[in-house]
Amino acid sequence: MSRRAAMCLVACLLVCVSALAHAELEYRLQPRQIAEDTYLLEGTTENFDKRNGGNIVNTGFIVTDSGVVVIDTGPSRRYGEALRLAIGTVTDKPVIQVFLTHHHPDHVLGNQAFADVSIGALAGAADLMRKHGDALTENLYRVVGDWMRGTEIRLPTQVVAPGTLAFGGHRLRLVALSGHTGADLAILDENTGVLFAGDIVFYQRALTTPNSPGVQVWLNDLDTLQGLPWKWLVPGHGPVATDARPFEQMRDYLGWLDRLLRGGAAQGADMAELIGSPIPERFAAISLTRYELIRSVSHLYPAYERAQMVRVDAR
Amino acid sequence: MSRVQGRAAGFALLLFLAGVACADPGKDPITSVMWDYYQQKFLKGQPYVFDDKVLLRAPPFAEDARQVPIEIDARAYAGEVVRILAWAELNPLPQIVDFQPVERVLPWLSIRIRIEQATPLRAAVLTRDGVWHIGSTTIDAAGGGCTAPSVVRTQPGWEEHIGEVMGGRYPRSGFSRLRVTIAHPMDNGMVSGIPEFYLNQAQLKDAHGTLLATLELFPAVSENPTLGFDIEGDGETQLSLRDISGNLFSAAVK
Repeated sequence: MSRRAAMCLVACLLVCVSALAHAELEYRLQPRQIAEDTYLLEGTTENFDKRNGGNIVNTGFIVTDSGVVVIDTGPSRRYGEALRLAIGTVTDKPVIQVFLTHHHPDHVLGNQAFADVSIGALAGAADLMRKHGDALTENLYRVVGDWMRGTEIRLPTQVVAPGTLAFGGHRLRLVALSGHTGADLAILDENTGVLFAGDIVFYQRALTTPNSPGVQVWLNDLDTLQGLPWKWLVPGHGPVATDARPFEQMRDYLGWLDRLLRGGAAQGADMAELIGSPIPERFAAISLTRYELIRSVSHLYPAYERAQMVRVDAR
Repeated sequence: MSRVQGRAAGFALLLFLAGVACADPGKDPITSVMWDYYQQKFLKGQPYVFDDKVLLRAPPFAEDARQVPIEIDARAYAGEVVRILAWAELNPLPQIVDFQPVERVLPWLSIRIRIEQATPLRAAVLTRDGVWHIGSTTIDAAGGGCTAPSVVRTQPGWEEHIGEVMGGRYPRSGFSRLRVTIAHPMDNGMVSGIPEFYLNQAQLKDAHGTLLATLELFPAVSENPTLGFDIEGDGETQLSLRDISGNLFSAAVK
């Protein structure tokens, strides 16, 4: 290869690399209509990383006669801005309301792009954001990097309570739950039958438990949600469903996790042993089961251990 | 063989043994910038081998850097182990435990620790022949486990509970698993305004007072230390503990 050809090649490579680097930081959100007036921005079922920019979450919006209602704002300021642009490709109507399903960073860190809109959350979720928001934000900077540039926690501006609210012809039923974080909001659009389940429902993606009050609470929440008159089920993570399979998968997985931890505690197993437990074949299609098992053992096992111990000190 | 020849043979044998002891320790299975320092500091230049029969289990990442579960399993050398040391290489306070199983206690230990950042972990197992067998692993972490404020101290009335022990015995085939959790803040002196205050000595004895094992604990051990042992035989096991302020605690697991 001549020297000139070599230099040409190097220059081409540089151009390619810089183009890639630039392209990497665009979320390219494509709203997909899932029901009348209702759009979904579906994230991947991966873990946070520097390639996906944290777009591992489902957000959505409802175009009502009086304006747009947004459900969750995504993992970063950049995502929130992209979401707002994406909404603009569907409707000229203004955004009039944001609801946050819970305090986790992948659902709330796009809030800065909705600074002019009322941002509603359950009181418990607002408290958790106040307490842990900065630490959760820092952690996302660590795992997704430059996508987060300029992102800061922005607290909800409105506390919402369970009940039904009307927005331009859509009646939205707000349901307060607690299985995932202690303060979880689900929203049922009574007109369309679309249920935004938040992270009470994960589908084809292993559920996460860092703030869960426990498996039984979560199972009860699943019963509550499944009993609502829904037609489309939008999980917090994973594909939309029109049947009960996500509920069945959640119950199956939570039941397995509960038995695993209970059985381990009864035998005096230590965490380091339990995280290597075999994962049943039927969960093979679920993304990140091993990773989340390691986390869930850390979150949930201490309570199971204590239940199998008694006071033994000389009092 | 003349006496001189005998001495020469003996010397040759010594040389040979020394040669064995100083045999190639093998390749370090993990990447470490601190190994040379620690093997001088803790193993005092004694012979060692990197040994995959010593299992050091930890999660690949620390979900909670203040409570990282690790398990040291040297049962491959059951009956030969005199001492087990463990440390987290990149911790500001690296040492975790100095565990000496004496009788009926298997060379197995589970313990929870704090880590300050992603770090190599080591378990050094000394066998009767004077060789240290090194088990290794690494763990990733967001960090901050050593300098995070204590959770115990946020609980009202925590002082009243110091030294309370929860425990259980779980029969397995041929031995029983003993687990205990001791209420103690295990202050490591790295949180502003809170001086060192941690459990540093523990002993296990059987119902007749026979010593089964001794442990020295270091402030890398998590608050409310959670320990697990595998013990052969039946009967009550007594645990005695002492912290650096001289408080004594005891418990008996039936």
